[in-house]
Amino acid sequence: MTQPAFTVDVDHNQYLPEGGRDVSAIATVISDGTPAAANSEPGVGSAEIIIVDCSGSMDVPQTKMAQARAATAAAVDVVRDGVWFAVIAGTSFAKPVYPAAGGMAVASPQTRAEAKRAVNGLRAGGGTAIGKWLQLAYQTFGTTPATLRHAILLTDGRNQHETPEELASAVSLCEGSFTCDCRGVGTDWEVGELRKVSTALLGSVDIVPDPAGLAADFEAMMRTAMSKQVADVALRVWTPQQAEVRFVKQVAPTVGDLTDRRAATSPQVGDYPTGAWGPGESRDYHVGIRVAPGFVGQEMLAARISLVVSSPGGPQVLGQGLVRATWTDDEALSTKINSRVAHYTGQAELASVIQEGLEARKQGDEDTATARLGRAVVLAKESGNEDTARLLAKVVDVVDEATGTVRLKKKVADEDEMALDTRSTKTVRVRKEQA
Amino acid sequence: MTAIDGRSTEDVPCPNCRQLVGVWDGFCEACGTELAPPVVSSGTPGHVPQCPVCTADPDAPAGGVSPEGYCEVCGRKVPSDRDHVEVDLGLLAGISDRGLRHSRNEDAMALATSRTPDGQVAIAVVCDGVSTSPRPDEASLAAAQAAVRELLTAARLGDDLGEASLAAVRLASAALRDVAGPDGAPACTYASAVVSQGSITVCWIGDSRAYWLAASDEGPPPAGHAAIEPDAPTRPVTEARVAMASAATTPSSLLTRDDSLAAELVASGLLSEEDAMASPQAHVITQWLGADSPDLNPHVARFEPAGPGVLLVCSDGLWNYRSEPPDLAGMALPKALTSPLDAAAVLVKFANDAGGRDNITAVLVPFPLGTQ
Repeated sequence: MTQPAFTVDVDHNQYLPEGGRDVSAIATVISDGTPAAANSEPGVGSAEIIIVDCSGSMDVPQTKMAQARAATAAAVDVVRDGVWFAVIAGTSFAKPVYPAAGGMAVASPQTRAEAKRAVNGLRAGGGTAIGKWLQLAYQTFGTTPATLRHAILLTDGRNQHETPEELASAVSLCEGSFTCDCRGVGTDWEVGELRKVSTALLGSVDIVPDPAGLAADFEAMMRTAMSKQVADVALRVWTPQQAEVRFVKQVAPTVGDLTDRRAATSPQVGDYPTGAWGPGESRDYHVGIRVAPGFVGQEMLAARISLVVSSPGGPQVLGQGLVRATWTDDEALSTKINSRVAHYTGQAELASVIQEGLEARKQGDEDTATARLGRAVVLAKESGNEDTARLLAKVVDVVDEATGTVRLKKKVADEDEMALDTRSTKTVRVRKEQA
Repeated sequence: MTAIDGRSTEDVPCPNCRQLVGVWDGFCEACGTELAPPVVSSGTPGHVPQCPVCTADPDAPAGGVSPEGYCEVCGRKVPSDRDHVEVDLGLLAGISDRGLRHSRNEDAMALATSRTPDGQVAIAVVCDGVSTSPRPDEASLAAAQAAVRELLTAARLGDDLGEASLAAVRLASAALRDVAGPDGAPACTYASAVVSQGSITVCWIGDSRAYWLAASDEGPPPAGHAAIEPDAPTRPVTEARVAMASAATTPSSLLTRDDSLAAELVASGLLSEEDAMASPQAHVITQWLGADSPDLNPHVARFEPAGPGVLLVCSDGLWNYRSEPPDLAGMALPKALTSPLDAAAVLVKFANDAGGRDNITAVLVPFPLGTQ
């Protein structure tokens, strides 16, 4: 398999007034590799684990467990020949379902059929301790040489049979080892809990309110996983000696703050984890740098952004984008606000005010909730984020969209509130304007 | 052998392979070396290997310079050779300087000389990148390079210089279509001058200028001093001869008319020159070279000055600070008549001392050619 190349396209207003220090840029990263070969070689392969909640509540109603089995089988069917895979059942402990003795199997028509037979035997009964499920997944992945590691985790309830610390410790163990997309079926689970897992493991979190929707969702997740080509890609940010990285955030397709995930490889270079990439994938990042102040006429490189992929021969640096700073006394140049920076700043604010508003509502602080969700309505409208606007309209009554005057709905369906919560991080993308 | 224009027509050795070549050959037939190549103000490729700030700082750790020219330690852009370029070809000389307030030199100049059976020829091209376009430094360099190449070839072949000037500016425009990219169309102004034994052919688009600086300005220009009649693209160039003043020597004058809002306001009588130059529209150009430029309407004009003097081709980084022809003549002459490079240095220093708000480029050609 050929290693894909990455292109980094930086968009920003490079002009600062005399003495200015803050540079803000949007970096669009595109992976433009060729599609992966149909058969992965064993040494450089993909591995998939499906983790299914088999706690007692999965039988309430019985269709839930049935749909979970069907969805798991559907996902198994998407696993490509040659890819390692396994299925794990999760209760207050974790148990391998296929291969029954543990470890992973190489996908083929025969092993997929065997796996589906084993999945058919899944029954609900027991508690919920997600950390244990993650630990077993970690060990299971470790039995193969595969580098592209991904898991799908399904739960329907709260993590009752573990302390938050135990879960956090398991998540910490797994961080950097595999990526994990989390799904909650129904409305009895905790968005915040599952989000901690998905954020740390660089995956998505979402609600599937009706179990009948599980199969399509699982299939889609597995197809996306099959398209990934490079694992453990890091965003590398170089800054000059007297500069400081204020933040690094992914802003498209979803918002996520990577600032605290920095791994310093040297005083001036930090790597931020971005997980696995497939060909044609494109993500936008918002980077903020504070540099030493300059005088008019000076030019400086504020940051160099590239992608780093580990390979047997050592880390490979692919792609490069330059963030420049030029000091000028031309106010027309230095006061121009780059429209994409402004847009994404708004999108990031949108995600955080939604989460703050929903949290305040849960705590009974109606004033804060109304203010935050009102601000969210304004930001959603300004940025054309219609999906989020629709989700907001299920939680608040919008009196005036322009000023953000809203009233909290007295009755909000749990699934509407949770959908808004999980999808608050989805952003609207803006392309660079053609000059 | 008969001497023509004071120089021998005997063969001379090629500077590369030492085979004898004709005195007005463009290329050595033996080794292919170009004998008098044009010189463009691109600076040497690559960057200085050390950051001067970090080198001077005892506490700074050792570090190199990135391929784009930034210090690996402090991030500052290291000086580029293109920030200050001096070219002296004997017959003419020029300086292009970054100035004090811009972070890079977006002006470019190209100089060339040629020896033909009809005499010597000096060629100067000055281009000023439009700051609001992307990669203006690439625009000015590409345009100057393309134009000087065409003008030199035409001079060697003895082509009509007016038509050659139009061909050159069109090739410069085509070169800018090649450098256009997803980030937009790099743009620049354009001013070229071809000086032969008896005449000066000027071609321009935008607000870079050509001036005639007389060796002695005797009083105010006589009545009837012809204003520029820019050539319309469809009219044959030979009709665009400008009748210069009938005095014994041609006084200092501006040979070009800016394609700018200010110039149009003045021409239409709506504003005085002083008010126009002070207005915010003073530097809004109405024509430029660039892939996004509407129809190209370059101006061409030919002059036959009487009396000694110097042709000055310059960007607005100079004339912004002093624009009146006699004032410029007072600064540059008499030095420019014999040492055009030293005179160019005087002009550049003047502009930097006055503030250096823009890149400064000045090329001086003493006239008649070869008298210095």
